[in-house]
Amino acid sequence: MKLATAIFVLLGAALVTAQDTPPVQPLPAKKPATDAKVWGALVFATNDAKEAATMPKVDVPAAYADIPQRLGKVFEYQRFEVIGQHLQDVFREYESWVVPTKDLFLKVDSKGPAEGGGMNLHLQFWRDQQVIVKTDAVLKSGSPLFIAGPKWRGGQLVFVLVLQQGK
Amino acid sequence: MKTPTEDHDLLRWLDGEMSAAEKAAFESRLASDPALKAEAELMQRLSADLRTHLPAEMPVPYADFFNSQIQVRLAQDENQQMPAPASEGWFAWLRLPWLAPAAAVLMVSLFVWQNGAPSGSADSVVHSIYVPSAAVQARSFHSAEANATVLMLEGLEEMPADRKIVGFNITRTEVDEAVAATTLFGTDGKAVAVMAKDARNQPLLLTSSTPRG
Amino acid sequence: MPAPTAPDPGEVLDIDLVKRSQAGDTRAFDMLVSRYRGRIYAMTYHMIQNETEAWDLAQEAFIKAWRALPRFKMDSAFYTWLYRITHNVVYDWLRKKKIQGDGEFDDSHTEHRVAAGAEAVPRGDAAPDVALKNAELGARIQQAIAKLSPEHKQVILLREVEGMAYEEIAATVPCSLGTVMSRLFYARKKLQELLKDCYENTD
Repeated sequence: MKLATAIFVLLGAALVTAQDTPPVQPLPAKKPATDAKVWGALVFATNDAKEAATMPKVDVPAAYADIPQRLGKVFEYQRFEVIGQHLQDVFREYESWVVPTKDLFLKVDSKGPAEGGGMNLHLQFWRDQQVIVKTDAVLKSGSPLFIAGPKWRGGQLVFVLVLQQGK
Repeated sequence: MKTPTEDHDLLRWLDGEMSAAEKAAFESRLASDPALKAEAELMQRLSADLRTHLPAEMPVPYADFFNSQIQVRLAQDENQQMPAPASEGWFAWLRLPWLAPAAAVLMVSLFVWQNGAPSGSADSVVHSIYVPSAAVQARSFHSAEANATVLMLEGLEEMPADRKIVGFNITRTEVDEAVAATTLFGTDGKAVAVMAKDARNQPLLLTSSTPRG
Repeated sequence: MPAPTAPDPGEVLDIDLVKRSQAGDTRAFDMLVSRYRGRIYAMTYHMIQNETEAWDLAQEAFIKAWRALPRFKMDSAFYTWLYRITHNVVYDWLRKKKIQGDGEFDDSHTEHRVAAGAEAVPRGDAAPDVALKNAELGARIQQAIAKLSPEHKQVILLREVEGMAYEEIAATVPCSLGTVMSRLFYARKKLQELLKDCYENTD
């Protein structure tokens, strides 16, 4: 927690000294209302068995165990290693961030429930400090979204977003 | 010790690739060379056994399903290319008796496909895409095989190979009231990153890892 | 290469089914599938010795053929053309899979394993039941084929199962005539070695 505090202090100072300080977004006092939960993951797709073996990975919950196999039907690689994951609430009014790694992450804005189930979402795919793509999508549980990311180390990075069933 | 050409002769004789003259010449060699003859006969026997035990035709398991699956994929192909009304061929095969049981299910799924995944569809859909960079191109499609929706991006700059991509395993976040910042916690309860804003109100992701080199 | 059995008189010719398929008639294509699925499945099965995967690959082959139909000029028999597509599908799939050892497959993915009791007859014993010996040989052959590399499996199957001439094999793979012959020779020698005990004791 000390780290967070230190960063806040620095940020606070930065905000105060900046010329055109935008107003700090008013935050609700308690946890914001949520519309849904999403699971986001960054997957490293590769044909190099050694790369795959030495890549640090995360344990994926059973519900998403078939994701690598499904990725294989779209992306022509042999191995799919989940290197980061993040289970996140999608806030009703506030923006949500899905950050399985610091290099590639997603901003998620709820646009309310979709007709016939699922969620209307505005998604922004970020790489470092830049938006690569903005999209309006309907996400339904059981139907993941695969976002093809940049190539890396002879393979490719793929961002996976899944709407969790129920709330 | 046989020469490579002798091996080829043996092969060509066995497989009937020799002319009549060559064949006669080779067979007289066989008559006078017991070792070669033995080898030739062994090869012949192996050939015959291979042909016996490797049938050219085999019954396909679930043969009807094999056919109907292909038809489903053909229909999906057609829908992806032509949102226009179905061609005569589609409805023609609905009259086939063996397809009748599957026809109801097929008709529903084909109808859904033709109407471009209406609200009743279980598939995620990407409605609109905006790519700020002119170098990058985006398109989306649905993969039936993966049962997933894909947002394909082309023209992205490759990540440098020496870049160390550190994965998180985030299960909890806390929105802090002091500043517009969200703390991201890993499985051990420790903060792994903070999503904050910079002076332009743009996202600023801060971690405790050493700066990339 | 020998054509599959010609259709009965009164049965629709391949060429007519192909033309109708090219016009988008999926029912005509369905008839082609029925006509050739046995041969295509046998081919994929012999190459990979796994029923489920072979079934999937046979499906892929027909789907690819449907998509490629507009480009089929009918300058060869439909089956020959279909065969080439299947062959490419299987070969691409094999290349993607891991290959262990010095280019030869391990047999861990094969379904056929020699039963514990199915050993070669020791010298001096009475000749075993012929039918049992045949079944054992069949299983042993499947197992031996599985041990060959994709390149060697290809040529031996094209030669022995499809009955192709060397020129046809060279065109299908594709490779040179010399390569066809050296691979065939190696494959046969290797199979002989793997099946040595099956041949030792007879006459």
